[in-house]
Amino acid sequence: MKGALRCGKPLLGDVLVIVVGLIFVAFLFKTLWHNEQAAKLQIRLGDKIYATYSLDQNRNIDIQGPIGITRIVIADGKARFESSPCPNQYCVHQGWLSHKGQAAICLPNQVSLELLGGEKPFDSLNY
Amino acid sequence: MRFLVLIFALFLSACGKAPLVQTKSYVFGTLVDISIDGETEEKAHEVTSQILQDFQRLHHQYHAWQSDSELSKLNQSFGAGKTPMEISPELSQMLTQAQTLSKQSQGLFNPSIGGLISTWGFQRDEFTPVEINDAAIQKLVLANPQMSDIVIKGNAVFSTNPAVKLDLGGYAKGYALDLALTQLQKQGVKNALINIGGNIIALGQHGDKPWRVGIQHPRQPKPMATIDLLSGWAIGTSGDYQRYFEQGGNRYCHIIDPRNGYPAQGTQAVTVLLPPSPQAGVLSDVTSKPIFLSVPDHRANTAKTMGVEHYLVIDGNGYVTLSASMNQRVRWLAKPAKITVQ
Amino acid sequence: MPNSTKNSRIEIHTSPDDHRIAKLAALAIGLHLIEAVLPSPMPGVKPGIANIITLFVLYRFDFATAAWVSLLRVFASSLLLANFLSPTFALSLAGALLSLATLFFAQYLPRRYFSAITLSVLAAFAHLVGQLLVVRFWLIPHAGIAYLIPVFMTAALVFGVVNGLLTNYLLRISPAKFDEDKG
Repeated sequence: MKGALRCGKPLLGDVLVIVVGLIFVAFLFKTLWHNEQAAKLQIRLGDKIYATYSLDQNRNIDIQGPIGITRIVIADGKARFESSPCPNQYCVHQGWLSHKGQAAICLPNQVSLELLGGEKPFDSLNY
Repeated sequence: MRFLVLIFALFLSACGKAPLVQTKSYVFGTLVDISIDGETEEKAHEVTSQILQDFQRLHHQYHAWQSDSELSKLNQSFGAGKTPMEISPELSQMLTQAQTLSKQSQGLFNPSIGGLISTWGFQRDEFTPVEINDAAIQKLVLANPQMSDIVIKGNAVFSTNPAVKLDLGGYAKGYALDLALTQLQKQGVKNALINIGGNIIALGQHGDKPWRVGIQHPRQPKPMATIDLLSGWAIGTSGDYQRYFEQGGNRYCHIIDPRNGYPAQGTQAVTVLLPPSPQAGVLSDVTSKPIFLSVPDHRANTAKTMGVEHYLVIDGNGYVTLSASMNQRVRWLAKPAKITVQ
Repeated sequence: MPNSTKNSRIEIHTSPDDHRIAKLAALAIGLHLIEAVLPSPMPGVKPGIANIITLFVLYRFDFATAAWVSLLRVFASSLLLANFLSPTFALSLAGALLSLATLFFAQYLPRRYFSAITLSVLAAFAHLVGQLLVVRFWLIPHAGIAYLIPVFMTAALVFGVVNGLLTNYLLRISPAKFDEDKG
């Protein structure tokens, strides 16, 4: 290996490419590893935590609540209420949750979703 | 040896203190979120369940449409005639306070329009579109129920106007916050955050930083700003995105204008921030409504009349208008298209 | 079907270069197979030593030959490993195609300043990008891979440099032009 290093000496252009490569990789770490990405979905049913799922795996979750079955879908690193037995469908209209701290709730069926992942930007939500 | 025991005891006590105990529960017909910091888990749970029990009691006692609540019985009495009814000292106190606030808001805050609220279908657990009966609405508006129609003598109350039907929806959550704060202080809790359906009051801090509250975006499932809620401060928001139904391309929210009997249009949300006081909670609940119902030109005035220094309005287009002092406190996460400071 | 009236057998003439290329291709396939069975520190991260052959061929012969060797390696390896037309094959092919495309342009970089190290690094990145595209648009189209990209890119950079150094070394110790039939 030492021999190779000596004989395969990097040229000026090589060094340039390596340096640019390092900067590029550092940039990738900075942007793709920022903690804005939510990692986990926490589902609550009533007062208790029903389950916590990683957002990396696509799945469907059916939850039996007081008024029926609510379906939650995790796909593409996001989560949302797919269907719920509530009359107003506010929860479904909330759409996809993708960043930490985002939450949606189906009040009638007492199901709530929250995206966890790193430090929350606030302690509680005013609405 | 004693030194070691002391260290050991300190160590144990430090282990006993839970960093943060957060409980979420469905009470008051909405999501209640109580965070207690710096107490043992045991004590935190004890205090929390006590507060939740208090909330349950308030919820049932002052329920606007369950016929066996104290409030409903009072409403029935109002409708029947002018015979006074004996009520609890607590309700008497609440009504007196509500009367003062209603007068202060020049009738924009009017918890006696239960009839109108019911007509629009908002006295139910679910909100579905209702057939808009303009005749019935006009009739109720003409009947002109006002808080001033209520006569309170000690704990005996009657109304001079049978159309008065109390609905404490825009008041009770705030009252509950003040009650909870008093309870916490009585129990010796130093740091807590209570959120009843979005209305929040703070006590102490979160560790070594103030409690931080997110302000919901009226149209997207994420917060649009955060604000530090210092000890004793309360925050409340009236929005057209919490309780509403859509019909014929219009959104009808639960904030009804007593002057014309129709839900307010053209505003998405109003957020108010109140400094520490015995009624910080009540004010955080009540004062957002008159501002919500005011026309844009009058909003600053209304806020002033209600004693609100920190307010933020999001109009129908998503444009933001806020007071200078509020502007200093708000930390934007998603800057709105247009911000006006007044 | 041969239709020859003149000869009764088909003659394929091979040159010494053809032999050399065939041997190098075989070597590339061999290296690829060895790498396939060796455990890797993390799934998806491989040193890619077969690429040294590709680069070597590029320098000693020409791009067309290098492309030949590279693609031959991809197809032959997958047949031998019994994953022809599988996702693994798709990844391998996508990586090879994109890195070849990059080499097509990179080969014109002035040799005074850029050695095989540069080409190796660029080809390694391109190879990874090709594979990520297949993963993203066909195999696992969800956001989970975002976390892995920086890690893979680092590996590509590191192994690119190492392979480049090794290629430089091989180029230096092997004759500049193959005159005789050498193994």
